[in-house]
Amino acid sequence: MSDEAQTVSVEISINGSRYQREVEPRLLLVEFIREEVGLTGTHIGCDTSYCGACTVILDGEPIKSCTLFAVQADGGEVITVEGLEQNDELHPIQQAFSQHHGLQCGFCTPGMLMSSLALLAENPTPSEKEIRKQLGGNLCRCTGYQNIIKAVQAAAKTMQEG
Amino acid sequence: MEMKFDGSFDVDLPRNEVFEILSDPRKFAPMLPTFHSMEMKDDRTALVRIKVGIGRISGTASTELTLEEADAPVRARYVGRGKVMQGAYQMISAFDLEAMPNGGTRINWMGETQLVGKILSLAGGGLRGYAEKEINRLIGSLQEGLTPGAELPKAKPKHEGWLARSIRRLRHQDDQPQAAEEAPEGAAQQGAETLAQQPQEVQVIQKEARQRIAQALGVNRQQKPLSRKEDNRLIRGRGLFVDDYKPGGTLHMALVRSPYAHAKILNIDTSAADALPGVFCTLSGDEISKQCQPFLQIGPEPCDAIKDYPLAVGKVRYQGDPVVAVVAESLRLAQDAVQLVEVEYETLDVIITCEQALQNDVLIHEEMGTNTDWQGVYEYGDLDKAFSEAAHIVKIDKLHFHRFGSTAVEPNAVVATWDDSLGGIDYLANTIMTIPITMISMALGVSADRIRLRTHDIGGSFGNKIGNYPYMALAALASRKTGGRPVKWVETRSEHMQAGSQGSERSYFDTEVALDENGVITALKSRHVDDCGAYPRYEPLGCVIWSQVLPAAYKLRNMRIDFSQVVTNKGPAAPNRGYSRLPHMWFMERVVDICAHKLDIPADEMRLRNYIRDFPYETPNGCVYDSGDFVALLNKAKDLIGWDEWQQKREKAKKEGRLMGIGIGTTLDSGTNNFGQSVIVNPDSPFSGNAVPAMIKLDIDGSVSVAVGSFPHGQGHETVVSQVVAEELGITPEMVNVAVGFDTARNVHSGQCGTYASQFAVTGLSAVHGATEMLKKELKELAAFSLEAAEDDLEFGLGDMGPEVRVKGTDRGINFWALSNLVNANSARLPQALRSLNLNCRYTYRPPFEVPDPESKFGNLTLTYAMQTHLAVVEIDPHTGQVKILDYGIVDDCGKMINPMIVEGQLHGGAAHGLGAALLENLPYDESGNVLAGSFTDYAPITINNVPKLKLDHMESPSPFSYNGAKGMGEGGGAPLHAISSAVQDALIDKGIIVRGSHCSPNRIFEMLQQPDGDQVVTVERRA
Repeated sequence: MSDEAQTVSVEISINGSRYQREVEPRLLLVEFIREEVGLTGTHIGCDTSYCGACTVILDGEPIKSCTLFAVQADGGEVITVEGLEQNDELHPIQQAFSQHHGLQCGFCTPGMLMSSLALLAENPTPSEKEIRKQLGGNLCRCTGYQNIIKAVQAAAKTMQEG
Repeated sequence: MEMKFDGSFDVDLPRNEVFEILSDPRKFAPMLPTFHSMEMKDDRTALVRIKVGIGRISGTASTELTLEEADAPVRARYVGRGKVMQGAYQMISAFDLEAMPNGGTRINWMGETQLVGKILSLAGGGLRGYAEKEINRLIGSLQEGLTPGAELPKAKPKHEGWLARSIRRLRHQDDQPQAAEEAPEGAAQQGAETLAQQPQEVQVIQKEARQRIAQALGVNRQQKPLSRKEDNRLIRGRGLFVDDYKPGGTLHMALVRSPYAHAKILNIDTSAADALPGVFCTLSGDEISKQCQPFLQIGPEPCDAIKDYPLAVGKVRYQGDPVVAVVAESLRLAQDAVQLVEVEYETLDVIITCEQALQNDVLIHEEMGTNTDWQGVYEYGDLDKAFSEAAHIVKIDKLHFHRFGSTAVEPNAVVATWDDSLGGIDYLANTIMTIPITMISMALGVSADRIRLRTHDIGGSFGNKIGNYPYMALAALASRKTGGRPVKWVETRSEHMQAGSQGSERSYFDTEVALDENGVITALKSRHVDDCGAYPRYEPLGCVIWSQVLPAAYKLRNMRIDFSQVVTNKGPAAPNRGYSRLPHMWFMERVVDICAHKLDIPADEMRLRNYIRDFPYETPNGCVYDSGDFVALLNKAKDLIGWDEWQQKREKAKKEGRLMGIGIGTTLDSGTNNFGQSVIVNPDSPFSGNAVPAMIKLDIDGSVSVAVGSFPHGQGHETVVSQVVAEELGITPEMVNVAVGFDTARNVHSGQCGTYASQFAVTGLSAVHGATEMLKKELKELAAFSLEAAEDDLEFGLGDMGPEVRVKGTDRGINFWALSNLVNANSARLPQALRSLNLNCRYTYRPPFEVPDPESKFGNLTLTYAMQTHLAVVEIDPHTGQVKILDYGIVDDCGKMINPMIVEGQLHGGAAHGLGAALLENLPYDESGNVLAGSFTDYAPITINNVPKLKLDHMESPSPFSYNGAKGMGEGGGAPLHAISSAVQDALIDKGIIVRGSHCSPNRIFEMLQQPDGDQVVTVERRA
C-alpha cells in the first residue's frame, strides 16, 4: 500500500542514456521505460509474459520487461525499439519488416524487432525453424507470421552482406 | 492459488537427532535457504526475517514460523505466515520420519503454499515453477544441513546459446543470498550493493552478449523506401496507441470486477479505498444509475427491457462484470485501492449453456421475462415439396460452434475528458466505429455533436473493440466526477479474456437436409441458437448478419432457419472477425461434408454438384453475389497443394492405419453492410444503407491532404488512400498526406463510419474517389481560367514545378501551389464566377441499397462478396488427438486487388485466426461460470510455431457494383475452421466419427476417438 511504499534508487542505461530514478520496488521494468523515461515504443499486451510486446534487450539478451522489476535491471543496459535507429537511419531489421509487410497494426512490432535483433546477433544465418523458435514468445494477431519470417530472413541477408 | 509438493530423502543421522533438529524452530529456521535473521516469539514460534524476491531485489520480509505439530520422534509440522509483494502467503511444511535399517532416517516431506494477492497477477503462470524451485532449494538446504560435510552441486559454466546462458545467469542471481551467507560476518548487511555485484563469470557473459548486440546494431545501413506510410512510425516505436497518450493531469481508472458469474450485490464498502491517499473517487453502479440512462438496446421487445449500465446495478451477470470503478493518481494506486473495496454477494444459480437458458428456470435479466432476447424464422422456397420429393434426407443432431475471441494484442483502452469548453466529452479511444458515439450520447445525455472521438494507432481489433463503449462511458463519468481531469482506462489481459473479447457461440439443432438422387442439396431446415453472453449490446445484429450468406456457396433454394439468441452468464460477446457469417458458413460446410460422407460422394465432387455457378446470383433471401467462380477456385487450390498426390498419400496412410485427411473450406466474405438489415431485427431501427464520407483539400502550400471516415487498425489505409489519390491526380503517393486515424472534428463523420464488415476497399475508396473527382473539377475550373484553356483540354500530372494541371500534350501548366494561392491567398485576382470554389471537397459514398422487407426477411444486405477456398491436409496422432497440418493452400478472389501486398497480409492474418480458433483457441466455462481461459497462457493464441507455411494464389473477378471492381476482404470468412473440421472429418470417418464441433483440440479429438458416435448423431433416410 502507498503509505508503506518505500522507494529504491535505480540507475538504468536505456539506449545509451543513463536514467536515475527513485522507484517503488514493485515498479516493472516496462513501466520504468514507459512511464519514468517516456519511451512508449515498448508495449504491454498481456501482463503474463506470453505476448512479448514488451521485449527489450537487457545486458545483451532479450527479456520481457513486463515480468522483470525495474530494480532487477539496476545498473543494467537496456536497448528498446527506439534504440534501433542511429542518426535517423533505420536498422536493416526495421527496413525488412516494412519491405516484407511484416507488420500491420504495429503493436507487437517493437517486441518482434527486439527479439529478431537478439536472434541475428547470436545467429546471423538462422534457418526458418530457428526463427520460429526464437519468435515463439512474440505474439502477432495480424500477420499470420508468414511475412515476419520473410522479414527476418531478409534482414539476416542484408546484415550478412554488410 | 494453492500449490502442493512432496517427496522424500534419506540422511545418515538417526531419527531422534533428526527430529530434535526439525522440531526446534531455533535450529530449523536457519536452514531455510533465504534465512536472514530471527528472534523467538515463544517456544514454538519464531519471527524469521527472510530475503525475498528474485535476483537483485534486496528486501527482507517477516515470516511468523510456528511449530504446529511435534510428535516425537515421527512428525514435525510448521506453518509459516507472512506478507510479501502486496499479497499474503501461508506455507505448510510437514516432515514424517522413518527409521532406516542402516541407522539413518528417511524424511517424507510435504510442502503446501497458498498465495493471495497482486503477486499472482504479476507472476501469472510462472509462479508454480518459481515455488517449485524454492521448495527444492529448501529441501536441498535441509539435506545439506542434516548431512554434515555435504556440498550442493554448483552450476557449471558452459558456452551454449543465449537461453542456456540466461538460465545460468538467473541461477547465479538466485544463488546470491547463499553467497552472502557464506561471506564473512557483516557482509550480509551490505544489502543491495553486495547483491548487485555479479560474479565475474556472469560479467563476462554479459559483456560478450552486449558486444554481440552492439555489433548487430553497428551494421551498415542503406536506406530504402518503406512499403507503407504507417510503417515509418510503427517500426520506430513512435506510434501513438491509447496507453501512450498521457495528457497533463491524467488520472487512472481500475475496476473491481465480480468473481461470480451470477450474484446479487448485497453491499459495497468503498470506504477504505476512498481513504487511500492518491485516490480521487470511486463509482458504483447505484451512483451511476442515477446519472445515466441504460444503454440503447438494438433489439426490440423483450430485449429493450434490459437495463445495461456501465457498472453492474443490483446484481452481477458474468464473471468479470464491473462493480466499482476506482480513480487514482497512478494506475498502481488505483489497483491497490481496488483490493480495498469490499463487496458482499449472494450467489445465484448460473446459466452456462443455451439449453439451460432456453428453459428459463433462471432469468439473467428478470425485466426481460425470458432469456431469449431475439427470435425469428427465416423461411424461403417450398420446404414441404422439397422434402417430400427428396431422394435422401440426412438428419444431424446438434452441431456447435465454439466461443473464442480474436483478441488483439492491444486491449481495449480509452482516455476520456469531460470537457466543459466542448460541452461534452473528448475521447482518444481504440474503438473502431461510430456506433459507440450513439450509445454514449444517449446514455449520458450528451449531444453526439458534443462528443469528440479520436483514434490514432490501434493495436488490432478484429471487431472486438466495438465493445469498448461501456468503458468509454464509465471513463467519461469518472472524468466528470474528478472535475474534468483526463481519465485513462486500459484493460488488462485477464479483463479482456473475461469481458472484452468473446465472440458469440452458436448451436445448431435438429438439422434436416433434403438431397436428390445425385447428391444435390435441395432443401435445409434447422434451428440455430446464438449465446451472446450476459448482455446483447451489438449482438442482436448477429441475428440477421449471418443471412448475408444464407445458402453459403450452394445453390439450394429452399431453406428454413429458426434463429434465436439467448443470454447466459458468460462474458458479453462482441463482433469477431467474420462476425455471424463465419459460424453460419462453418455450419453449411459441415452439412455438405456430412452429407457427402453419408452418401459416399467425395467431398470435392459434392461441392462441384452443389456450387452456385452463375453470377450475379440472387440468393433465396434477395442478396446478390456479385461475381466469382467457385469451381475455378477449387481447381486452383487443388493445383496449389498437389491434390492428386495428397490423395494417393492419404490412401497409402489409410492402409498403414494412419489417420490422414484432406479438407475443403469454401467461404464468402460479404462486405459493405446495408444497415437496412437491422429492420429485420428491429422494424423500428433508424438505420439503413451505408454512408461513408471522405474529404480532400489542397492546402495553402499546394499539398494534397485527405481525411477518411475509417478507423484503421492495421489495414494500411494511409498507404492505400495515397496510392489511389496519387493515381487519380497523376502524382506520387508521397505527395499525398492522409490524416492518421479518425477524428470527428475532421468533418468526415457519419453514423456508419468505421473499419468493420470488410468495406473499406469499397466504401472508403469510393468516398475518396468521389471527393477527388470533386477536387479535380474545381482545379480544372481554376486552371482553365489561369491558362485560358478549355477544361476538356486539361490533364493532371507532374511537371517541373511539382503537381500541376496542364494543357494536354504541352508544357503549358499551372502547379498546385499557384492554384491554391488563387483561392486561399490571392483571391482578389479571382473572377467572381470562381469565388465559390473551396478546394476543400467532401463526398459521401452511399451504396445503392434499399430497405429490406422485415416481414419476408428479403432484400440485398451487402454489396460485395469476396470468396476463398482453403485446402488443409492433416494427420492426427491417434494416441494424443493432436492435429498436424501437412499442407495448407488458400486461393482468394476479392475482385480487383488495389494493393496486393496488403491483400496477402489480410489473407495470412485471417488464416492464422481461423487456424488458431480451429485448433487451439477456446473460451470454455465451468459449471459455476468461471472462464477457464483467463489469460493468454490458458487461451493459447496461435504463435509462430503453430502456423504452417501458407500457400497462396489469387483470382480476380471484378465486382460490377464497385467503381474500382474491388470487394472488401479483411474478415476472410474463417475458412480454416471449415477446412480443418473437414480434414479432421476425412481422417476420422472410418472410425465412425462425425465432427460436430468447430474446436478440433487434441482433447476433443481424443474424446471422439474414445467414443465414436457418428451413426447415432447422423441418420440417413433413403427414399429413392
